[in-house]
Amino acid sequence: MSSSFSVSRRHALRILGGSALAVPLALAGCGDDSGRGGPAPDSTAPVELSFFWWGGDARAKLTDDALALYTKKHPNVTFKKTWQANQGYFDKLATLTAGGDAPDIFQIDDNYLAEYATRGATLDLTSYQKSGKLDTSKFPESLWKYGVVDGKLAGLSFGENTQGLVYDRTLLAGKNLPEPKTGMSWDELISWAANVTQVTGVPGTMDPSGSYQALWVWLRQNGKELYKGKDLGFTADDVTTWFELWKGARAKKATPTPDVIHEGNATDITKQLVATGKAGTSWVWVNQMPELKKSTKNDLGVVAFPGNPKGQWARASMYFSVFRNSKHKDVAVDVINFLANDPAAGAVLGTERGLPSNLDIRKSVSASTTDPAMKQSIQVENDLGKLFGPAPAVPLKGHSTLKLELVKAAENVQFGRASTAESAAAFFQASKAAISR
Amino acid sequence: MTVTTARSRDRAPAPSGSLARRRRRRPAQREGLAGYAFLTPWFVGLILITAVPMLLSLYLSFTSYDILTPWTEVQWVGLANYKRMFTQDPSYWHAVLVTVKFALIATPLKLAAALGVALLLNQERRGTGLFRSLFYLPSLLGGSVALAIVWTRMFERHGVVNAFLAVFGITGKAWVNDPDYALETLMVLAIWQFGAPMVIFLAGLKQVPTELYEAAAVDGAGPVRQFFKITLPMLSPVIFFNLVLETIHAFQGFTSAFVVSNGNGGPVDSTLMYTLYLFIEGFGRYEMGYASAMAWVFLIAIGLVTVVLFSTGRFWVHYSDEDDR
Repeated sequence: MSSSFSVSRRHALRILGGSALAVPLALAGCGDDSGRGGPAPDSTAPVELSFFWWGGDARAKLTDDALALYTKKHPNVTFKKTWQANQGYFDKLATLTAGGDAPDIFQIDDNYLAEYATRGATLDLTSYQKSGKLDTSKFPESLWKYGVVDGKLAGLSFGENTQGLVYDRTLLAGKNLPEPKTGMSWDELISWAANVTQVTGVPGTMDPSGSYQALWVWLRQNGKELYKGKDLGFTADDVTTWFELWKGARAKKATPTPDVIHEGNATDITKQLVATGKAGTSWVWVNQMPELKKSTKNDLGVVAFPGNPKGQWARASMYFSVFRNSKHKDVAVDVINFLANDPAAGAVLGTERGLPSNLDIRKSVSASTTDPAMKQSIQVENDLGKLFGPAPAVPLKGHSTLKLELVKAAENVQFGRASTAESAAAFFQASKAAISR
Repeated sequence: MTVTTARSRDRAPAPSGSLARRRRRRPAQREGLAGYAFLTPWFVGLILITAVPMLLSLYLSFTSYDILTPWTEVQWVGLANYKRMFTQDPSYWHAVLVTVKFALIATPLKLAAALGVALLLNQERRGTGLFRSLFYLPSLLGGSVALAIVWTRMFERHGVVNAFLAVFGITGKAWVNDPDYALETLMVLAIWQFGAPMVIFLAGLKQVPTELYEAAAVDGAGPVRQFFKITLPMLSPVIFFNLVLETIHAFQGFTSAFVVSNGNGGPVDSTLMYTLYLFIEGFGRYEMGYASAMAWVFLIAIGLVTVVLFSTGRFWVHYSDEDDR
């Protein structure tokens, strides 16, 4: 993988040479302002765009195929594709950006969008959206708005997603236990999980006290937010109550032992406890269902997080952003517009990155998919879609610290090394320092 | 070096007068130039890959450099990063504590293991060559990622280690997933890789003159007495060398902590080694200015530790040529 970037200097030179020729051509050809962003999408000068994403083999195959469709339509545009696992992706993206060698188009998620946008690494897509070169007219409004940071459209929401409680159907069916339901209260879920533990011997649920997704939904159900404006949207006392809730659950044996919870706190999807068989339920994103299914033989089901589903929202599972200093801004924007709105590209990409943002494509993809896991996650999202509340703002810069601090604080309580109040206070303080830095 | 210079001087034509004196200098000068020419590739590497980035990082440590902003546009913040490190960041001091604890415990134990095995393998018996290779094997794997992954799997609650302990009726802990034992598990991994100091000890043991032992045996000294009165003093320069190297090595521990904790220093920061925390700040949180400041404090701290080790060396390291005086 690194080798593909080490040759990039030569590529870059070639592209530079190419674009030097291309710019006058493009200017002569159409005479509009697109010369600023390199050759126009309809120019025939050769363009090579670098494209960087995280994901597995399946995603790589689908993305390759979709980009091949673009090259077929525009034979002058080719892609230098690089992809890798999520772990280490953002380290790599940062170093590439630091070296001024950032990919023209890159995949990013809401954990990092604000980090990149506030530091001016992403191209503001607003003007393209206004001129119709980037078409979001078929997107749910809350979805494309989730890509706005400080009034600038920093990324195109690619795929809709929401929080989901994935549970082990086979485990429950074996003992004739009821399945969890959307809309059950947090206490009901904990009692249900405690019962699962007692009957099956497998802890009913992962302890999500270190999961920012779970905390965030719970806060929203209680009229709070994770972030409000440029500040935290909760108090240390809220977090104490949250930790107490799960302390109670652990006392009832609804959750695994702290060391197993620690394993489940890993971001790696294959280590989620529902996949490794170490707990009956895991707290994840709905579009991760098909990926989770690959790691277990058991049948999985998915419902909303407990409490009022209004606390959940249509989250962009990821975005495509264009590097601000890209030599081919206009073409790059045209490519992400193509991936999001072209029916043929939509059919190829399916729901692998989440439900398609374009509602027309979403409809046709949902109708044609045959994968049962994908069908199920589409079903759940569509059902929940009617109940969603408004989307919150994208997490602030410093969010990656908050995530880590929450895991640390939760584990501190779980291992009995600190009281709920002490741990909550430490988490609150560290998070506040991180976002105000 | 000295040998070649001497030889070239012999070869120089017999000098006479001032002209000859100038000429006499030339071959030496030319040789010096050639030497520097041969050193050039190394110098270029040193300057471009080590010296310039180091100096840049010193500059960046006084800025709020965040990787994503071009470093030519960074904000000068004076000593703010250093102030934050020393007065406002509890995680920093935690990382210092974890690292010092790791180095203080793992280094002596590793050296003891290395010396112990070296003593056993120093005896000339059949098959010692094979055993020397076998004991050196773990060190060949070095800071490998694969090794750390295997270690993680072995030391899980349901890993091989606990299965083995269960045979003796011992219920093992969750080791790597328990904040009370995770760092200790990493120490065991570090100690297990004692091959490099062991080989150096073996070489040192071969240097101890056998007549010393013979004389001691004649005087009635048993093996224990011989060890403390002959082996240890004779070996002290080698012990000192290993101690300095291994201490620095322990302070720099990164790979195993990174892999075992999925890169976050968990559980509950128990494996948050200094270099890992530096990495998280620099590449996870993009606080590269702060990370640069941490790196410089680290460099100075390791330098100080080494100076302290050298100054204590005067009291316990014996060089055999000193005894001759």
